[in-house]
Amino acid sequence: MTDPAIETEQIVKVFGKRRAVDRVDMQVSVGEIYGLVGPSGAGKTTLIRMMCGLAIPTAGSVSLFGHSIPKEREAVEERIGYMPQERAVYRDLTVAENLLFFGQIYGMNRKTIAARTDELLALMQMPDLEKQRADLLSGGEKQRLSLACTLIHNPELLLLDEPTIGLDPALRSEFWDHFHALKQNGRTILLTTHYLEEAGRCDRVGMMRLGSLVAEGTPDELRGRVSPDGTSVSMEQVFLELTQASKSERSNA
Amino acid sequence: MNRRSISRIRSVAERVLRQIWHDKRVLAFMFVVPSLAMLLFGFSFAGDIRGVRMAVIDQDQTDLTASIIDNLQHDSTFSVTQIVTDVSDPQQLLLKSGYQAIVRFPKKFTSLYYAHFAMGVATSAQGTIDLTVDESDPQIVAAVKMGLADAVMNLGEGGPIDIQTRELYGVTVRFIDSFAPAIMGMVVAIVCTVLTLLSVVREKVDGTFARIWVSPVRRAEFILGYIAAFGLIAIGQSFLVMSIGKLVFNIVINGSIFWAYVCVVLFAIGNVGLGALLSAAAQTESQAILFFPLVILPSVLLSGMMWPLQAIPKLLRPISYLIPLTYSNRLLRAVMVKGLLPWQEPVGFAGVLLFVLLTILSATFVLRQRASE
Repeated sequence: MTDPAIETEQIVKVFGKRRAVDRVDMQVSVGEIYGLVGPSGAGKTTLIRMMCGLAIPTAGSVSLFGHSIPKEREAVEERIGYMPQERAVYRDLTVAENLLFFGQIYGMNRKTIAARTDELLALMQMPDLEKQRADLLSGGEKQRLSLACTLIHNPELLLLDEPTIGLDPALRSEFWDHFHALKQNGRTILLTTHYLEEAGRCDRVGMMRLGSLVAEGTPDELRGRVSPDGTSVSMEQVFLELTQASKSERSNA
Repeated sequence: MNRRSISRIRSVAERVLRQIWHDKRVLAFMFVVPSLAMLLFGFSFAGDIRGVRMAVIDQDQTDLTASIIDNLQHDSTFSVTQIVTDVSDPQQLLLKSGYQAIVRFPKKFTSLYYAHFAMGVATSAQGTIDLTVDESDPQIVAAVKMGLADAVMNLGEGGPIDIQTRELYGVTVRFIDSFAPAIMGMVVAIVCTVLTLLSVVREKVDGTFARIWVSPVRRAEFILGYIAAFGLIAIGQSFLVMSIGKLVFNIVINGSIFWAYVCVVLFAIGNVGLGALLSAAAQTESQAILFFPLVILPSVLLSGMMWPLQAIPKLLRPISYLIPLTYSNRLLRAVMVKGLLPWQEPVGFAGVLLFVLLTILSATFVLRQRASE
């Protein structure tokens, strides 16, 4: 049996008196698109940072491909690609120079990087921008460059923190097409978003609120919990109802 | 300008003040920097040169030489720590024992002095004091000559005394000659510290820092990358300073240019470490800028760059010994002006090495902490 791409067990992160993540158990299988949805402050970014080894869990554990993080991070670091919420590109470098740097730190040679750069820029529909400085790109182009930098070393697992934030609906749709194309190529994607309608495009969804995972399942399963008779409901309604139900359960407990 | 305009101006001003009030670091700097500047400038400019390390070789051993030595001992310019009756080579004593000046009263000094006194202009004979002085700092040389002349004048009797100075490094060292090595160190310190600090903070703000830590790049590799880049920049800057110094000001370079570059690069490495270390305390670029005066002011005023350490008040001198540029100045002056090899100036060399070791290790540790909070 293959290890899940991501597995967390009772993971907790406390900042001062605030529990940013509270006993989250989740599993993401290889080849799956898993969406962590929830409002700002729900704990999505902290959870993803713990998966990357950028934040140390206060309690519980996280593993990627069966390797405990952060202890065995070295074993998996070349297999993961992380896109932080900030655009995380060098403003004063050109598009090609950014891709060259992020390729080189993963041990790729210049020739391979050049070929991969052409491929990615074509995919991101920015082939003429190779020599453009990143600070002169538009917001959407910067976001696409950021995704290209994450993909440069062809990682198996993509951890994308709010990859579609600030994009117009057309560009967001394009990004989702990229994600599905990557899934077709066997990639696993965990992404966070606070656009609830995007949850419908994931294979499975985890809904977070105040650090807890309040509901998890495929979009249809989650809709089914709210509307057993099959009436069409939006993911926003699903989120509101399920988080409300979780709140009531907690107060009753 | 109407009332609504005034109200809007007030709103902007109020908002700016609120922002400053909320950022306690900015608030602290606003008061610390002017106070620090005033205190440092005030104390540094007010200081006279004190405690020049001096040895006296008294080959004549008379009441006259004893009186002059007594005057020297009572002059705060000097710290006379050794009085011997004979040393064959004063130059070696100066170079090996860490003295800054050696005064030698040769045999018959007293008789020649009184002969001139008795015979006046009828004789050309006169007492001659042999002065060997470390010329790498012309301000020290001037203070030694003036102090020695005063010690003789204070006798209030006798004829003129000739003070013969030996040129230790074969040439007369001017202020610019000893200032050039200090400028090299200063430029490297400012550029490497400030640029590393800004670059690392920018990596944090832009999120590239997080992307790097998730990649196979190790903390030490990250720092070494910065060191390699700034090491090259430091070599370029030193080349410029040395070339302009040589071509425009005809500065004296007695020593090996190769070793001068080695020392500059070493110092640059330490400053990259310092920049990375300081970056841990700044979350934004504007916070990082606040560190600049803290790095620059003490280095310029207290490192012995503008005036010798002996001119810095005793109260502030412990701070001088904490400033890396103090050791870089000593080392680069020894290599460039005195023509020594780096390890022949053990204090400067050890100081720079320790600075490199401490900053690089702490920066690596701090970056590791910051990356996995």
